Amino acid sequence: MRARLPDRADVVRRDGVRVAFEVFGQGEPALLLIPASPITHARSWKGIVPTLARRFTVITTDGRGTGRSDRPHAPERYAPAEVTADLLTVLDAADIGQAVLVAHCHAVPWALCLAADHPERVAGLVAIDPAVAVAPPHPHTVEPDRRWADQVDAPSGWAMRNRHFWRQDGGYREWIEFFFGQQLPEPHSTKQYEDTVGWALDTDAEAMIAEREGRAAPAGSEAEALCRRVRCPVRVLHGSDDRCQPVARGRRLAELTGGDLVVLEGAGHLPHGRDPVKVTRLITEFADRITGASMHATTWTRGPCRPARALYLSSPIGLGHARRDVAVAKELKRLRPELEIDWLAQHPVTTVLEAEGERIHPASQWLASESAHVASEAAGHDLHCFQALRRMDEILVANFMVFQEVVEEGRYDLVIGDEAWDVDYYWHENPELKRGQNVWLTDFVGYLPMPDGGEREAFLTTDYNAEMIEHIDRYPWIRDRAIFVGQDHDIVPDTFGGSLPAIRDWTTRHFSYSGYITGFTPPEPDEVAPLRSELGYRDDELVCVVAVGGSGVGQALIDKVAAAYPLAKKAVPELRMIVVTGPRIDPAAFPQRAGLELRGYVHRLYQHLCVCDLAIVQGGLTTTMELTAAKRPFLYFPLGHHFEQNFHVRHRLDRYGAGQYMDYATTDPDLIAAQITELAGKPVSYRDVETDGAARAAQLIAELI
Amino acid sequence: MRARYPDSDGLVVRDGVEIRYERYGRGWPAILLLPTWSIVHSRHWKMQVPYLARHFTVVCFDGRGSGGSGRPADASAYSDAAFASDALAVMDATGIDSAVLVSASCGGFWALRLCAEHPDRVLGSVFIAPTAPLVPPLAERRVQRFGEVFDNPVGWQLYNAHSWKTQYPEFVAFFVGRIFTEPHSTKQIEDAIGWALETDGETLTAADRGLECCNGAAVQRLAAQLACPVLVIHGTQDAVRSYAEGEALASCAGGVLVTLAGAGHFPHVRDPVQVNLLIKQFADRIRQ
Repeated sequence: MRARLPDRADVVRRDGVRVAFEVFGQGEPALLLIPASPITHARSWKGIVPTLARRFTVITTDGRGTGRSDRPHAPERYAPAEVTADLLTVLDAADIGQAVLVAHCHAVPWALCLAADHPERVAGLVAIDPAVAVAPPHPHTVEPDRRWADQVDAPSGWAMRNRHFWRQDGGYREWIEFFFGQQLPEPHSTKQYEDTVGWALDTDAEAMIAEREGRAAPAGSEAEALCRRVRCPVRVLHGSDDRCQPVARGRRLAELTGGDLVVLEGAGHLPHGRDPVKVTRLITEFADRITGASMHATTWTRGPCRPARALYLSSPIGLGHARRDVAVAKELKRLRPELEIDWLAQHPVTTVLEAEGERIHPASQWLASESAHVASEAAGHDLHCFQALRRMDEILVANFMVFQEVVEEGRYDLVIGDEAWDVDYYWHENPELKRGQNVWLTDFVGYLPMPDGGEREAFLTTDYNAEMIEHIDRYPWIRDRAIFVGQDHDIVPDTFGGSLPAIRDWTTRHFSYSGYITGFTPPEPDEVAPLRSELGYRDDELVCVVAVGGSGVGQALIDKVAAAYPLAKKAVPELRMIVVTGPRIDPAAFPQRAGLELRGYVHRLYQHLCVCDLAIVQGGLTTTMELTAAKRPFLYFPLGHHFEQNFHVRHRLDRYGAGQYMDYATTDPDLIAAQITELAGKPVSYRDVETDGAARAAQLIAELI
Repeated sequence: MRARYPDSDGLVVRDGVEIRYERYGRGWPAILLLPTWSIVHSRHWKMQVPYLARHFTVVCFDGRGSGGSGRPADASAYSDAAFASDALAVMDATGIDSAVLVSASCGGFWALRLCAEHPDRVLGSVFIAPTAPLVPPLAERRVQRFGEVFDNPVGWQLYNAHSWKTQYPEFVAFFVGRIFTEPHSTKQIEDAIGWALETDGETLTAADRGLECCNGAAVQRLAAQLACPVLVIHGTQDAVRSYAEGEALASCAGGVLVTLAGAGHFPHVRDPVQVNLLIKQFADRIRQ
């Protein structure tokens, strides 16, 4: 799912060619983002658009030859005059008089032409890794480019940049895969690589050849003269390890235009994809300078006069962590009564926080929905959560930027992130942005590949684990405290993959263990009957609660269990089944069945789970551990391809001797009915779950402030 | 030892009064740190000079009646026009055509006059805890009567021409205590008392009488004329000039108000980092 959808998506038609554009947000100045089409298109800006659009009007175009635009195959259709005319037409269509241009690679010459020839339309220019021939090209590109039109036998490397090779079967793809491997020299760039290769394959070899042959970009003294004609403010961003365009070109462009140069040391050719936080901040600062955004009225509170403040982030995917985070916060306030806690949170976590009277930071409204993304990634009873997390990249960076603004303005002493992946990742990637003490909580460590993902998935999970380990090794001061919600034996016996260490050993070295945090104390045996009665359950009925968590994924399981209900009811006449669809699934979406009760969000669902005679749930940790703590029999169905539910949670439940694992794919309603008949109301013998986890976690946090 | 010594210093003589100035660093725009009431001299900018001088040309001078400058005895020598003319003379002597003005407390008067009457020499003006009698004075100052004779003056009654003849040090101790309301300000208080004792009650009496021309109507008139960028910085715990004065000046002059919650009357001394960053940010905007 995208982090932000355009406010307007449209096309202009010029000279018979349709060029697609999108408009996001409002605010001065307008920013026109020009991709190096047709090898890439508007989606290449996905890491920076949502944040920029909160402040400015942002216009993206696909560029002729790719994306939602037409793909003419004649070189003359890609002449600079054509492309710049497209861009002016887009500005007209978007009703933008003047814009700051943000252009990448060979889109920079187009932007320079616009700035030189139509100064009234261009307020400024940000040139990223500019392909402007004001300095020599990389030597490794010279000979291949000279032989661009020649027949070359079995070319490899840069020599694959060849018109004949691109026309060969698979040639273009082979070139693209090589090319973007070169453009992303930064380790752990698998997602950016997959994205850029995918966008490049949105066009075809003929459009690419036509663009390359029609490009006619100025070189040498002609290029210098063009640069000198630019009068607007210019900022050049250039990766020091850019293998497409040498930094000397960026430096010379800045000199010729009187602009400033920001060298991104260690960055390759795609910093807006690989270092979106830094690039967003550099563009924002430049745009603010152009509008002369003046100082505004503010209040600065003297350090000693400030109340201690914490910003709490609760992983918003489902409701899993909301209850435990509220419990930790309450314990923390007991230890530090003066501490003010704000929550940066989104639905459905806010449902719990509001009910508990917690203070939700107003900037929470800017967060892109992680739950909706996860729901969009699920199909039936299947959620490949590792890939879903990878595909959540633009949502994570958008939400991180919201967080960073909040934490800078709010001057928080403490940030508590319960699986706040965005904060943990981007603070390690941009360590100078860290503010306050930082607590990281998680209940699992290590991405594990699903067996059917093969070598590729094992490579990817290992790569992600390696990046995390390198982050911690290089910047041990980013996480001031890391808390594992559980005990060491709850950690799977696996390694992080490849030659990486064993997960349990590594975690013990880098984490403190709080023990499990249920967020409530299960009722004593003599408290069960009164609570049952309070919740409206009779002693002579067998209560089966079916719950699918809070993420919006669960319809398929509900359908299957509902189908089992008549069968089970026949075998166990005293059965009463209550299906809780959660805050993100509408109970009205299910057909009514006689006797089957459907409910939406149930506040303090754990109380119902504590007194039920059987529960049927997914494999999420929170719900299964609530049932374990309350010693209730339950069936759990891990979501397909959900490594956390299938490995981490299952391992922990096995250790507690809790629950009946069920495989959704091979389970039919008859089997569910049989299990209900067998297990409902039967005693269990689980290992005890500690009840002091929240207090222990709070103590570990309180030591920091 | 100082953190930074001037690159040049000198004296200008105007109307027979020597004005001692210092110049630091280079870079555009120049920042002119104006004197305030003559009870302290230019060392009250000591926390700003080394930082700002790494980025800008910085000029400061001892106001007449303080530090290394002359101490005329006549009240008429301390008019705001005289201070403003001193500032122009120092700018001329240091070769500065135009500057960003930074003033504190009643130095705001001289800044207002410079902005209104010499707009070509002023790029912008930062007012720290300005004296801007556009609103009623602080309640605790209502007992203040400069010309009256009190038997046992206490508190603001010490702000008094007769007290200053015999009890100047007591007044200084009281007054400096009101400047720094923030806890743990011993060093700032010792500094300011030391600077204040470098001048004397008679000089200050003359200086104070010279200020009498500065009233709310004059401030309002001058502030309304300002065309340059204006930044007002005012602490909410200012016990000398009320926070409401800063608010009123910012509003009247169309400037930006930065509120320093918990700060007293001399935040540039007590919260120098924040004030330095604000001045730098303001000057950077002008540079752009």
